[in-house]
Amino acid sequence: MNKKIHEYIREHIKADDYTLGIYNNESHETRFAQNGVTQHIAGPKIEINLKVSFGKRSGSSFTNQSDETSLKKLIADAEAIAQMAPEDPEHIPSAPAADLPEVENSSPATLNLKPEEMVEIVQRSIDKAIALDATVSGMCEKHYHEECDFSKNGFVGSDISSSFGHSMTLKKGDVETKVSFDAKDFAAFDLEREFAQLSSQATSLADLRGFEPEKIAVILRPHALEELFWFMMWGMNRRQADEGFTAFSGQLGKEFLGKDFSLNSTLKRPELLTRRYDREKVPASETCWVERGVLQNMPVNRQWAQKIGETPKSFYNFYVPGGAATEAEMMKMVPRGLIINRFWYIRPVDMKVGELTGMTRDGVLYFENGEVKHAVNNLRFNEIPHEVTRRILALGPSILASSISLLPTLLVEDFNFVDKTSF
Amino acid sequence: MKYLDLAMNAAESLGAEYADIRIQKTTDETVFLQNLSLKHVESSVLEGYGIRVFKDGAWGFAHNHVFSDEAVLATVQKAFEIATLSAKVNRKKKLRLSPERSYIASYRTLLQIDPFRVPIQEKVDLMLEVNRILMAHEGIRRAVFYLIQHKDEKLFASTLGTRLDITHQFIDPVITATAVNDSDSQSRTFDEGGRATGWEWVLSLDLPEKAKHIAEEALMKLNAGTLGPEERRTLILDPNHLGLTMHESVGHPTELDRVLGWEADYAGISFATPEKLKNYRYGSEIVNFVGDNTLAEGLATMGFDDDGVPGQKWHIIKDGILNEYGSTRDTALEIGLEYSRGCNRATYYYDQPINRIPNLYLLPGTQPLTPGELIADTEEGVYIQGRGSFSIDQHRVNFQFGGDFFWEIKNGKLHRPLKKILYRSNNPEFWNACDAICDDRYWRPFGVVNCGKGQPSQTARMTHGAAPARFRNIRVGGSQ
Repeated sequence: MNKKIHEYIREHIKADDYTLGIYNNESHETRFAQNGVTQHIAGPKIEINLKVSFGKRSGSSFTNQSDETSLKKLIADAEAIAQMAPEDPEHIPSAPAADLPEVENSSPATLNLKPEEMVEIVQRSIDKAIALDATVSGMCEKHYHEECDFSKNGFVGSDISSSFGHSMTLKKGDVETKVSFDAKDFAAFDLEREFAQLSSQATSLADLRGFEPEKIAVILRPHALEELFWFMMWGMNRRQADEGFTAFSGQLGKEFLGKDFSLNSTLKRPELLTRRYDREKVPASETCWVERGVLQNMPVNRQWAQKIGETPKSFYNFYVPGGAATEAEMMKMVPRGLIINRFWYIRPVDMKVGELTGMTRDGVLYFENGEVKHAVNNLRFNEIPHEVTRRILALGPSILASSISLLPTLLVEDFNFVDKTSF
Repeated sequence: MKYLDLAMNAAESLGAEYADIRIQKTTDETVFLQNLSLKHVESSVLEGYGIRVFKDGAWGFAHNHVFSDEAVLATVQKAFEIATLSAKVNRKKKLRLSPERSYIASYRTLLQIDPFRVPIQEKVDLMLEVNRILMAHEGIRRAVFYLIQHKDEKLFASTLGTRLDITHQFIDPVITATAVNDSDSQSRTFDEGGRATGWEWVLSLDLPEKAKHIAEEALMKLNAGTLGPEERRTLILDPNHLGLTMHESVGHPTELDRVLGWEADYAGISFATPEKLKNYRYGSEIVNFVGDNTLAEGLATMGFDDDGVPGQKWHIIKDGILNEYGSTRDTALEIGLEYSRGCNRATYYYDQPINRIPNLYLLPGTQPLTPGELIADTEEGVYIQGRGSFSIDQHRVNFQFGGDFFWEIKNGKLHRPLKKILYRSNNPEFWNACDAICDDRYWRPFGVVNCGKGQPSQTARMTHGAAPARFRNIRVGGSQ
């Protein structure tokens, strides 16, 4: 059907240039809370996105209907917008033909997973929580995504991906903690292992004591690290840096981050979901963003890349090479500190400085003399992530934190907590 | 439309205890202009239907974009099968729906000039003029104008016999100027958060004049001073700023689904638990919050929610005491409420509706008080305008907010502009620290068009409102 849609667009379009994207999704999502199912959703989606240009004047339109009337309107709307639009001084033509990397983003185990099996997973999750005299809330979800893109200038690309996710937040008394699994391959999922981790976290948090905010060493587990660095990477934009808006301005080629920190987007790790090309149809390629603290690259779109004579590139997954340190070893490297499971509600405070704020969530443990002593209340931090990388004392092995992130546990000194909450 | 009856009859035949269908067409037009470069102009139409089936204490929700008898019947069947699967899990924890009567009604957002009928050329011309005004100020490095127009056309039917025909739309112009020098970058934004009205509102805003102000204030902010270490200080907050503060610290904690723990895995739960109803001092005696899905031009004013429950007006905080929640048909009975407050809303046709914040506002003070008098009555403090950084914990207790523009108050006067200001507080400290609210002449509505919640994530809209208000003894200081 995608080819037919493309043929129709190609035959009927009057504009000089076009880019067409067709996205098909099929999802099944079972949401549960407090030991019961609260939402249960299934269905297909289609999105057809067309961008056209007359010279340097462009317009876009979008529909989720593929009949002829809708496609005719799709073209008419985009062309009408383009014809009235002023010339864009930053216009670039549609993407050219490109060699795309071969990746395997879908898994038969995920695609074959039935709704009955997903509900069974939810039922078992709830049964396990009840056995602990606790409640569990979470989401069991499966997604199939098929994407086809075409351009007047010869770009033809397609990608098929699958993903399976299962998250669980356990609440027992005042203890609240979470585990989540998110990967392209359902076959890698093991509820027993996930729940054992959840149960172990809950047990470790039973003895909760008050803790005042201070600068203190932290062991950042991979999920916490992913949430923190996601915002740092959001600020890593070449144009914004070049124009002076962010902390990364003028830092390219310099040792701006910690020497123990490297960041890559990689095609070499099959467990990672890897888009073959980005929204601008730029093929994914092996990219080192940060190498031992030196800022090597920043994401740059086609227009800005052309202007500055660079190659366009974007993040498509995140791989931070780890080390060999275990949490037990990390706890012995500093006199005292905190273990952070996850962060929550991170927001920028100062884009120019790169400062963020956020809260801890789902369990904070206090350790001293190499041993976990007790859990503590959640804390607010105000921190600058690229500066955090300069304070890395040790790295653990990289693990799959989500379908697009392979991250280690980090030991970081002097993490800046500024406030606490009541739980 | 024939599909309404087809779906409801099919659901009843299958044995649904309750079912509804929402046929929804969402039309958006977005224009994004940056530094005179038209980055994005898009017209989008998303059309389909979502069918909910309630059976044996559980929901099933299936959606489709294909309009045919076969597709509708298959979607009803799927929703029924999913509900049946859900019910197996819910054997010991059945959901219950609060009683509701049937309605046959229609609702249209009131407007004089439909923004979708205004030629794009006219909009782009205005945007270019505003962009040029911003760029004419030396030191402004980035000028952004983002214009959103959104329309939802819904046909709703339920097995209660309800038939609704609703068209709701809003428009939201956002302008940002960013100034840069060698050591800093500061932005100032004009954003009223959108309003459910027509193009006439945009024309009334005099955006070219607003552009001059925000460009000047972005430059002023670049060279502004900072406040130094955190201290307990007095805050005066403008209505736009308060819109976000109340959204996070009052709106979300009083969503009944959060109170019940239904968002525990993602958006979080609430400290404002049911045993606190009618007795918990949330704020000082002058603090009154009203949920009002009948508010004129309100983003959540759409006649009925997606449960088919009519818009209502009620006290959420009354004289400082937690009074009631925003509720839905599937949450109300859980705490013994007799009926829903009509807060169940979905974003697109493919979203199952969830408990959302209603239009929620702080009532103005009852004594005459102007902003000028409020500042004159404040020896020292900080006046915050607009919205900035915001973060709150998952129980909605501890929070930190920034702002968009800041003035230091000294001896009852605006003394000097400031930048990089943050304040930290918590519930119930913050709203109990409110000791003055300006009167109704200064009450202003401000919308939120991007309230993210739920799994799968949805984005809802609602309007907040307030008059300028003062808060004593709050921790205020500079960022790092």
